[in-house]
Amino acid sequence: MARVTQVRYPEQGYALIWFRGDRQLAGNPGQFVMVRGDWGNDPILGRAFSLVESGEEEAILVRVVGVGTRRLAELKPDDPLWVLGPSGHGFALPASDQNPVLVAGGVGIAPLYFLAKKIRETGGRATVLYGARNNRETPLAEEIEEFADLVVTTEDGSAGRRGLVTEPLAEILDDTSVARIVYSCGPEAMLEAVARACVDRQVECQIALESPMACGKGTCKGCAVLAADGRYRYVCSDGPVFESREIYKS
Amino acid sequence: MAVRLGPLELKNPIMVASGTFGYGVEYADVMDISAIGAISVKGISLEPRAGNPPPRICETPAGMINAIGLANIGYDAFVQTTLPRLRELGATVVVNLYGTSADEFAELAERFDSQEGIAALEVNISCPNVKAGGIHFGVRPEPAAAVTRAVRERTGLPVIVKLSPEAVNIAEVAKAAREAGADALSLINTIRGMSIDVETRRPRLGSVMGGMSGPAIRPLAVRLVYEVHKAVDVPLIGIGGISCLRDVLEFMMAGATAVQIGTANYTNPRTSLEILSDFEKYCLERGVTPAELVGTVKTN
Ligand SMILES: Cc1cc2nc3c(=O)[nH]c(=O)nc-3n(C[C@H](O)[C@H](O)[C@H](O)COP(=O)(O)OP(=O)(O)OC[C@H]3O[C@@H](n4cnc5c(N)ncnc54)[C@H](O)[C@@H]3O)c2cc1C
Ligand SMILES: Cc1cc2nc3c(=O)[nH]c(=O)nc-3n(C[C@H](O)[C@H](O)[C@H](O)COP(=O)(O)O)c2cc1C
Repeated sequence: MARVTQVRYPEQGYALIWFRGDRQLAGNPGQFVMVRGDWGNDPILGRAFSLVESGEEEAILVRVVGVGTRRLAELKPDDPLWVLGPSGHGFALPASDQNPVLVAGGVGIAPLYFLAKKIRETGGRATVLYGARNNRETPLAEEIEEFADLVVTTEDGSAGRRGLVTEPLAEILDDTSVARIVYSCGPEAMLEAVARACVDRQVECQIALESPMACGKGTCKGCAVLAADGRYRYVCSDGPVFESREIYKS
Repeated sequence: MAVRLGPLELKNPIMVASGTFGYGVEYADVMDISAIGAISVKGISLEPRAGNPPPRICETPAGMINAIGLANIGYDAFVQTTLPRLRELGATVVVNLYGTSADEFAELAERFDSQEGIAALEVNISCPNVKAGGIHFGVRPEPAAAVTRAVRERTGLPVIVKLSPEAVNIAEVAKAAREAGADALSLINTIRGMSIDVETRRPRLGSVMGGMSGPAIRPLAVRLVYEVHKAVDVPLIGIGGISCLRDVLEFMMAGATAVQIGTANYTNPRTSLEILSDFEKYCLERGVTPAELVGTVKTN
């Protein structure tokens, strides 16, 4: 069992939760944990969250969408937290000649924040394209600027460029003077558009998927997604990070 | 803490339920899986199965609904890679069988009969999530007896038959399975349920319906264990929504000799061992053995 050490609310409807257990998780960007508080039967299943940080500090970023995330956002320092993980396969770091472009949609920023930081620590620097509905839904934007080049797009123009995040992505990818690698996490429609943009230009692309899941350990076979070859993949054990071509037909 | 289910002796009565603990090996990094009374592994079929279209699970009040569709690696892969690993880890293994016909069940039983490191076979005639076989064998006495007999004739291993709460008359199915050679019965498998996303008006599961599990089904399971215990003289394994010591005691008092923990493993994979430790304390403090608790509910 772990305990909550700190909770911050970067925006209304979001909570950044730090916790500490008996041992460090030492997770990698793209890996996730199943978490649950001490709240009886509602809800009963743990909830999956990408690690935003792991090691000396462990943290997750929670966007409130339902009962489980609401209860998590209500946690206070010292509250117990059951944490299972780290689980799944994370992002493969860029090769030294690849310029990383990270494309986040909403709370999809969580694993990409961790990845951008890791890239900086290993001597690189990522470009982060961060798409959101409006300026109240861009948690971690300020923090990420400390170690990455940030471009924000909002659908209503209240922050950064007005429009979709795939527009600056297309501009960047059209400049073929340097080699790129794209990493993305966010809503499915966005992931598909990002994957398409990369396939068209033959750029490598890794995407982090979501799916309802019960065990987070590869045992319940609940988190199946249909892959490009017509077979199923399991988000928790085969992913959550996949080569985009493995999932989307080109 | 040892308990006896006919020819099957277990070091303790706390097992984990099929489909909720994978093949067991996945949890070797977080706990000592050899301490569990027995691990009923995910249902195994002759050939690998891909499973049902997603979404396959959704949470419902105090429980969940699943329509996995018995996705599994199949007999060969299980025997070649998983079973040796389970033996190495010292796990007590119950193999849960799934076939689409009595012949397939019998074929599986015969193949497993010659394998090392299997404590018992559990015959799943109660899965609600497959088109062929599954629950169809478990709702009436005749097909339940036919499958049980077919398995019995081909194996010397202890045979557990897993019953469905959807049986028209569960005591009759239990009796039929017992007479056809079952050494013990486990109950219950999931009961079909449905959940609709009222925004999109679409079912929350890809297969529309699925099997309900978790605390929500516990009273139903306790009642069925009680009924079967009264009607048939056969050791029972109680299953359904167990998450703590109290729930284990409830099933034992209703008539179960052992229990299986299912959905609660998702909440915390160590649930079985934590309950076991509470159960040992309980027995010590009260000076009772597990067997002395069985069927002790006072109804008069
Ligand atoms: C590998 C993985 C990593 C994730 N990382 C993060 C993260 O870093 N931060 C974060 O905030 N969330 C993340 N999620 C999503 C998070 O797990 C869900 O938002 C959460 O389970 C919802 O729980 P709830 O009880 O609040 O919602 P529920 O009450 O279960 O559902 C409420 C509503 O939310 C919708 N919903 C349920 N699950 C999801 C989902 N996976 N995505 C979008 N909507 C959903 C439901 O359809 C429903 O309409 C991740 C999911 C996965 C599988
Ligand atoms: C995701 C999932 C998969 C399951 N798979 C199987 C299976 O392969 N074979 C089987 O006999 N029962 C299977 N079951 C049923 C459980 O073993 C158990 O009977 C049921 O879940 C009730 O117990 P519970 O309420 O403690 O979960 C499955 C249950 C769940 C939730």
